[in-house]
Amino acid sequence: MPKLTFVQSDGTRMEISAEAGRSVMEAAIANSIPGIVAECGGSMACATCHVFLDDATAELAGPLAADEDDMLDFSAVPRRATSRLSCQVQVADTFKGAVITIPETQV
Amino acid sequence: MAIGVRSYDEVSLAQLRADPYPTYRTLRAEAPVAWLAPAGIHLATRFDDIMRIEKDHETFPALDLRSLQIKAMGHSLMRRDGADHGRQRRALDPTFAPGVAKRHWQPLFEDIANDIIEGLYEQGRADLFSDFAAPLASRCLMHILGLTQIDWRDLCRWSQALMDATGNYGDDPAIWARGKEAYDSIDRAIEARVPELQEAPDQSAISSMLHAEDPLDMADLRANAKVIVGGGLNEPRDATCTAVLGMLTNPDQLARVREDETLWRIVFEEAVRWIAPIGLYPRRVARRVEIGGAVLEGGDAIGLSVASACHDEDHFDDGERFDIFRKRSPHLAFGAGPHFCLGTWIARMQVGQIGVPALFHRLPNLRLDPDHEPAIEGWVFRGPTSLRVVWDA
Repeated sequence: MPKLTFVQSDGTRMEISAEAGRSVMEAAIANSIPGIVAECGGSMACATCHVFLDDATAELAGPLAADEDDMLDFSAVPRRATSRLSCQVQVADTFKGAVITIPETQV
Repeated sequence: MAIGVRSYDEVSLAQLRADPYPTYRTLRAEAPVAWLAPAGIHLATRFDDIMRIEKDHETFPALDLRSLQIKAMGHSLMRRDGADHGRQRRALDPTFAPGVAKRHWQPLFEDIANDIIEGLYEQGRADLFSDFAAPLASRCLMHILGLTQIDWRDLCRWSQALMDATGNYGDDPAIWARGKEAYDSIDRAIEARVPELQEAPDQSAISSMLHAEDPLDMADLRANAKVIVGGGLNEPRDATCTAVLGMLTNPDQLARVREDETLWRIVFEEAVRWIAPIGLYPRRVARRVEIGGAVLEGGDAIGLSVASACHDEDHFDDGERFDIFRKRSPHLAFGAGPHFCLGTWIARMQVGQIGVPALFHRLPNLRLDPDHEPAIEGWVFRGPTSLRVVWDA
């Protein structure tokens, strides 16, 4: 299973194994990673599962859909080039050593 | 170990309407899932239990044919689950998505807010509930719905009647009768507009439902429109008054907001946490389950007190205090899970970015009217019912 490393805004790192095919948000919630709130549970209504991907993973994750792109403009911490809503990113077998940074706040 | 559900009857409905928070505090501590005898419902009052319920729609579905809301408004997307709910919810995205709120609705709503303030300015005093918050919410909602031909005062009346019926746990026949009259009036207003919106689509909710890739039938459209009437009027109205009240009773915080206008966003979130406009909504229990130390049986109904969750000691210090500088933490005023409030992004813009700041920008030395105490009421739905203010015109 691909390994994902979550990095908190204070630098704390946690590594998990995630099943390919489920969303990064679901993998994070299932492993009790702090800082991924996901109020709407993955229906892309709340913008509280915002993450920053490392460049390589961002490339592998593919382009964002228009509605995700729109919603990222409303995240609590301003978006960056590799911002994604983690509910919209599917874990893939190609994610080797993905580093996923969690913003300071989601609300 | 699980115990039977404790029945709590040490409070009356009138006491809950006056101030439910002391009861919620007791229930969170002593019986976080209880049978609230005077209302005839189970009630969950802790944040973590409610979050668990909202993320498990297999065990706690939204669909309950006994729902007061279905009786009051028809069977809308709010009482549906899974694909059925998702399809109808997606149909409404072109009206409610955050980018649409900003690009399409914001300029129009700014004009409406300015127009109302213009009309009030000279009088130097107002009841912000009836003179500002209600007309702002109602006039914006006419556009959101697509019912631009109606009188905003009628829409206020209809919304109140539907909401009173939805919260009619006391089963008062007069409340049902007023609800039915509003129901029929809204259907007639929709009927009148549908042909035009069929011909000329716009960004409104009725138009979005008609022109969705998988269009909604008229029964679904009518029920969803009524839910939008209820949620789109009373809630932004009450959030507006609550946010103004929070600011006017905390002048030190207001001073900081005047220095840093980006804080208006937090003012709004803290206001809806402090006094959640929707205090309570129900879920059905699909199978025997243990939660909050109690065992519920399949077929039970349970009310989720998000108002209580927003004051939960495990998540908020001193929850009854309005404090925009409290530790940032998710609240549950918009609910959670697939039914996360559809109107969230419009509300944040309409109330948080436009309505409330406009009052403080335009009305010099805005303050509470010393001769009239603000009144706050309700438990299923709660907010100020009168907010008299004065300013230096």
